[in-house]
Amino acid sequence: MSITIEDVKKLAKLSRLEFTDEEALQFVDELTATLAQVDAINKVDVSQVDLFEKTVNADTELRADEIKPSLPVEQIVANAPDKKDGAFLVPITVAED
Amino acid sequence: MDYLDMTLTEVLDALNAGEVTSQTLVKLCFDKIKQTEELNALNSTYFDMAMARAKELDERRANGQKLGALGGVPVVLKDNINLIGTKTTCASKFLQNFVSPYNATVAQKLIDADAIVIGKANMDEFAMGSSNENSAFGPVKNPVDTTRVPGGSSGGSAATVAAKQCFASLGTDTGGSIREPSSFCGVVGIKPTYGRVSRYGVVAFASSLDQVGPITRSVKDNALMLNVLAGQDPMDMTSSNQPVEDFTSKLDAGVKGIKIGVAKQFFTDALSSEVRQSLETALDWYKQNGAEIVEVDLPSLDTALAVYYILSSAEAASNLARFDGVKYGVRANQYDDVVDLYFKSRTQGFGKEVKRRIMLGNYVLSSGYYDAFYRKAKRVQKVIRNEFTNALQNCDVLISPTTANPAFKLGEKTNDHVAMYLTDIFTVPINIAGVPALSIPCGKNSEGLPIGMQIIGKHFDEATIYQVANAFEQSHKEDK
Repeated sequence: MSITIEDVKKLAKLSRLEFTDEEALQFVDELTATLAQVDAINKVDVSQVDLFEKTVNADTELRADEIKPSLPVEQIVANAPDKKDGAFLVPITVAED
Repeated sequence: MDYLDMTLTEVLDALNAGEVTSQTLVKLCFDKIKQTEELNALNSTYFDMAMARAKELDERRANGQKLGALGGVPVVLKDNINLIGTKTTCASKFLQNFVSPYNATVAQKLIDADAIVIGKANMDEFAMGSSNENSAFGPVKNPVDTTRVPGGSSGGSAATVAAKQCFASLGTDTGGSIREPSSFCGVVGIKPTYGRVSRYGVVAFASSLDQVGPITRSVKDNALMLNVLAGQDPMDMTSSNQPVEDFTSKLDAGVKGIKIGVAKQFFTDALSSEVRQSLETALDWYKQNGAEIVEVDLPSLDTALAVYYILSSAEAASNLARFDGVKYGVRANQYDDVVDLYFKSRTQGFGKEVKRRIMLGNYVLSSGYYDAFYRKAKRVQKVIRNEFTNALQNCDVLISPTTANPAFKLGEKTNDHVAMYLTDIFTVPINIAGVPALSIPCGKNSEGLPIGMQIIGKHFDEATIYQVANAFEQSHKEDK
């Protein structure tokens, strides 16, 4: 399976990443090479596989749904690049008109 | 004897006997860190915090108080594990200023066991890599040969233990990130069973495959560390409620009557002749000491790498969507609107390999390809899991090489990402199957580079892995 430059541009948009034309062309080659490698999965017969039959880690459990103290707001926003009054600041997301 | 030459077990005895104090150990470790600075193994160190803690622990010990299982021993965390008030960078520009607001469960457990965290180890950015060359803070060098890579992604964690900057470290392993560097640096590292150790507070790469595990200079040290780390955690719903046994309990039980499975699929042409020779010598040793070698079949093993790159990249793309320049991390200086802020911040913050995985991950998850890649890979994962479970029904452990070759040169594979991915060919299937596996040194090649042997166990049977590993280590001490 080969990848086109349009595929790379679409993926970059989905990934919220920007690439120069040169980088995008490089991705065409790299993704094509990687996809050739991962094609190996098609060698395996999976017709009998039931994805929802639980085998491993059937021994996990959810904790009780109890309200407990969480981190103070100041600590949660402490690492934000821009903040005000315990809130994350972002540019306007809704147009004014 | 130089205390830094001791194993964790030996230095604990020395501490308990009053021969040495934790303050002395912390100073010795920092002297060593200074002397071996060129390795670039650590992203941050905490001398003042470590000395204050050592003083407190020394006083408690002097007052006759019984300390925890790691009482007063200096250790290092991988830089993707949160520790309150310290930077957790994941070796990424994106998180270069991120300060942990809380402790990861594994960090808390080490503190509760009275260990002293002295620093955080360099790594491949967001744990994506096999050589520790993908760090925003520069590559780590292998202490055995500084022209070579230490392996990755926990390269700093393995190098810091091998260079005797500390007595043990924590790494994380998604496809071999503890075992490959342990093998390259000549130390002992385990990826526990998926679910054995809590992932709470550890920055996620591929949540269904990630596990935290210890890297140490001996098998017994490793078992002691896992005793502290293992157990169910209400904060991680994938952590298992399987009872935690004492992993040191069977250390001296020997290997008489132990059944060791060997799969021909692990002994491929990719294996260098010296690695093959070392493994065959080790298997002969096991046979001479009463173990039985049985042949097992893992027919789909060679598809595990493909499954791994599909699943881990898909999960990484989803996990890393949270890095948007809003809640934490770096925000681009200039942007047009909020969406442009995401684009610019992510483009500037992530390194090349991380972008590569996000792109691949979004490809295999995107409309039209999801069934052919992601869903198919999940099904093949099930086949591989079943093959491992079946193979391990007929034996106690499996043995394989950890890597096909010893540590390679810095820069050797940086321009060939497919060759780099192939480095993990023997470690990746273990994460896909969810079983535990440990890498232990089993000799050196003609250039003096360590060779690693991988011992693979049944789900939640780390104790037998340690038993099999310890028997070998005890009779090969002179080879070190």
